[in-house]
Amino acid sequence: MAGHDSGSILVFAQFQSAVDEGFWHRLSSLKLNKLGIDESPIPITGYYAPCSHPQVSNNLTLLAQSLPSESNEQSSTAATSRGNRNRCPIRGILYNTNTIESFHTLDKKSLLRAEAKKIWDDIHTGRAVEDSALLSRFLLISFADLKKWNFHYWFAFPVLVLDPPATLVDLMPASQYFSLEEAESVSAACNEWRNSSLTADVPFFLVSTDPNSHATVKHLKDWETCQSDGHKLLFGFYDPCHLPHNPGWPLRNYLALICVRWNLKSVRFLCYRESRGFADLGSSLVGEALITVPQGWRDHQSLPNAVGWEHNKGRQVPRSISLAKSMDPTRLAISAA
Amino acid sequence: MVLSQKLHDAFKGTVERITGPRTVSAFKEKGVLSVTEFVVAGDNLVSKCPTWSWESGEPSKRKPYLPPEKQFLITRNVPCLRRAASVEEEYEAAGGEVLLDGEDNDGWLATHGKPKDNKHDEDDDLPSMEILEISQKNPIRSIPSYFGGEEEEDIPDMAEYDEPDNLIETDPATLQSTYLVAEEPDEDNILRTRTYDVSITYDKYYQTPRVWLTGYDESKMLLQPELVLEDVSQDHAHKTVTIEDHPHLPGKHASVHPCRHGAVMKKIIDVLMSRGVEPEVDKYLFLFLKFVASVIPTIEYDYTMDFDVGSSSNR
Repeated sequence: MAGHDSGSILVFAQFQSAVDEGFWHRLSSLKLNKLGIDESPIPITGYYAPCSHPQVSNNLTLLAQSLPSESNEQSSTAATSRGNRNRCPIRGILYNTNTIESFHTLDKKSLLRAEAKKIWDDIHTGRAVEDSALLSRFLLISFADLKKWNFHYWFAFPVLVLDPPATLVDLMPASQYFSLEEAESVSAACNEWRNSSLTADVPFFLVSTDPNSHATVKHLKDWETCQSDGHKLLFGFYDPCHLPHNPGWPLRNYLALICVRWNLKSVRFLCYRESRGFADLGSSLVGEALITVPQGWRDHQSLPNAVGWEHNKGRQVPRSISLAKSMDPTRLAISAA
Repeated sequence: MVLSQKLHDAFKGTVERITGPRTVSAFKEKGVLSVTEFVVAGDNLVSKCPTWSWESGEPSKRKPYLPPEKQFLITRNVPCLRRAASVEEEYEAAGGEVLLDGEDNDGWLATHGKPKDNKHDEDDDLPSMEILEISQKNPIRSIPSYFGGEEEEDIPDMAEYDEPDNLIETDPATLQSTYLVAEEPDEDNILRTRTYDVSITYDKYYQTPRVWLTGYDESKMLLQPELVLEDVSQDHAHKTVTIEDHPHLPGKHASVHPCRHGAVMKKIIDVLMSRGVEPEVDKYLFLFLKFVASVIPTIEYDYTMDFDVGSSSNR
C-alpha cells in the first residue's frame, strides 16, 4: 500500500478544537468579575490525547481548568494536574476582545506569526527538545457577548511551513512495518510510557528497536546517545488523527524540529494511536518522509511562513455558539418555574 | 421542570445535606454502593479501561465525602455513529409527533410517534436482563431521514461573520476538509458522527453511580441537551433520561436518572449469584456500564470486560 504514495507531498490532518461548556462559563465570570475591559492576552491550557477510536480523531479540548481561576491566579498552573494520560497539557494564548468589531479586525496573520515565532525560538534554543509539548502551542481569539450569551471564537494551531513541502516515501500501518516480535515489544513499551505518570503526557518521544526486536521508548533529549547504538530509531508522537493515510498536525512542527536540530533529510516517524486506551499498532502508522532543508532554516532570525487557522466545515471562518439556554438568568428562571 | 420533579429534588437535596454518606456495604443486598466502594470500583475502571479518568471538577462543587482528585469519572470524545432514535424502527410505524409533556416548553416531542405498549413487561422503565442483549438481537439498519431538532433562533448564522475576516491560507500540506461528511450529497447516507463526554458521578441519595452525557456534533460543537435525547433508547428518553444540573460541571446535561439503578443492579447481581458467580464490588461499574448501554446503545464508551465479573464458585 506504500508504493503509490512515493514522492507525493506529505499531507497532514488539521487539529480539531472542542470547547467544553465549562470553559465559556469560567470565561464569562472571569470577564465579569475580574478582567473587566482588560484585553491583555491570557495564557490558557488545552488538552489532547492520542486518537483512541478508529472512527474519530481526538481534539484539542478546552475545559474550565484551561483558564486561570478567579481567586488565586498563581495556583492555576500548579492546578493543571500533570500525569493524566487523557489530558496532555498544551500551552495556548487567548485574545478575548470587548467588541465584535475588534474581534473581526484582529490582525490574524500577525497573531499567528507571533505564536509561530515562539515555536521557532523553542526549536532553535532547544527548549522544545526538553519540553516537547511546546511544539503544539495554540492560539484562540474570542468575543464573549455576555448580553446574549453568544461566543464567537476561532482557534489556530500554528505550524511552520516546510518549503518545499516534505514528501512521503512510504506510509503503512505500524503492524505491517514491525515484525511480530517488534510489534509486541513496541506496544508494551508504549503502554508503559503511557501508564507512567511521569511520561503519560509527554507527546513526542523516540522509539528505539534493537537487533533482538526489543523496543524502548525514550525522551527526545536522548537522541544523541541513540546515534551510537545502531538501533532502529523512530520519531514517535501522540497522533490525535484517526485517518489511515494522513498523519495528524503535531508531526508538522516535529519535522521542523528534527530538520533544524538534527539536520536529518529522511525521517522515519510513528503516528502513535490507541484503541480503548492501549497501543493499537493496526491504526498507528509508520512512515518515511523526505525533507529538503528550506533556505534560511539554519538562521534563527529568519522566521519561516506559518499557517494553522482552524477550518470550520471546510472553510476558514470563525465559529460561534449560543449558551443562552444554560447561562441566561431569565431563561433559567423560566425553565425552573 | 415538572413540579413533582422540583419537589423531589428539594427533598433529595435536604436528605443529602442532613444524612451522612453510606459507609456500610449493601452491594449484594441492595445493589447500592458506599462512597469507598464507589472509589474502589472507579479505580478499577480507570486501570482496566484507561480512556476513563478521575477528575476533580469545579472546586466550588466539590463533595467533601469524596477525595478531591476523585470526584467523578469521565471519558471524553466517545463516538456515537448513529441516532438511537432512528435505529429503533418500531417507533416509526406510529408516525407523527406526540407532545409527551404538555406542562411547559420543556416537553419533548416524540418525533417517532408514541412508543408501542405491547411486548414490554409490566416493569417498563426498568431495563430487563433481556435488553442487555439488545445489540445482538437488533442488527443496526440504515438510518432513515433525520429530525434535526428545533432551530435555535439565537445561534447566529455563520454566513454573517465570514466576510470581514475570512482568510485563505494556501498550503499544499494541509488536508482539505477534515470535516468528514461535507461532500456527501445524499442526506440519508450521511455519517452523523457525534461524540460524547460521558461522566459518572456518585449520587449520595440513591447511593449509586449516575451517568451524565454531554454531546458534540460532527464539527465538535456542543449539542443542546434536548438533542442528546436522540441518542437515548426511546424507551428511556422520555422517562429515565432527564436534563439537569451536573453535580461537578457547569451547565445542564442529560442524565440517566438513578432512581431504579439500585434495583436493576440488585437484579443483575442476583442473576450472577444464581449462576454461581460471586460478584465483586470493584467490578460494579463494569456491570453498571453494561446495563447503561441498554439506555444509550449507540454511544460506544469503553467497558470492556475480558475478565471474570466475580470469583466463580467452581474455581
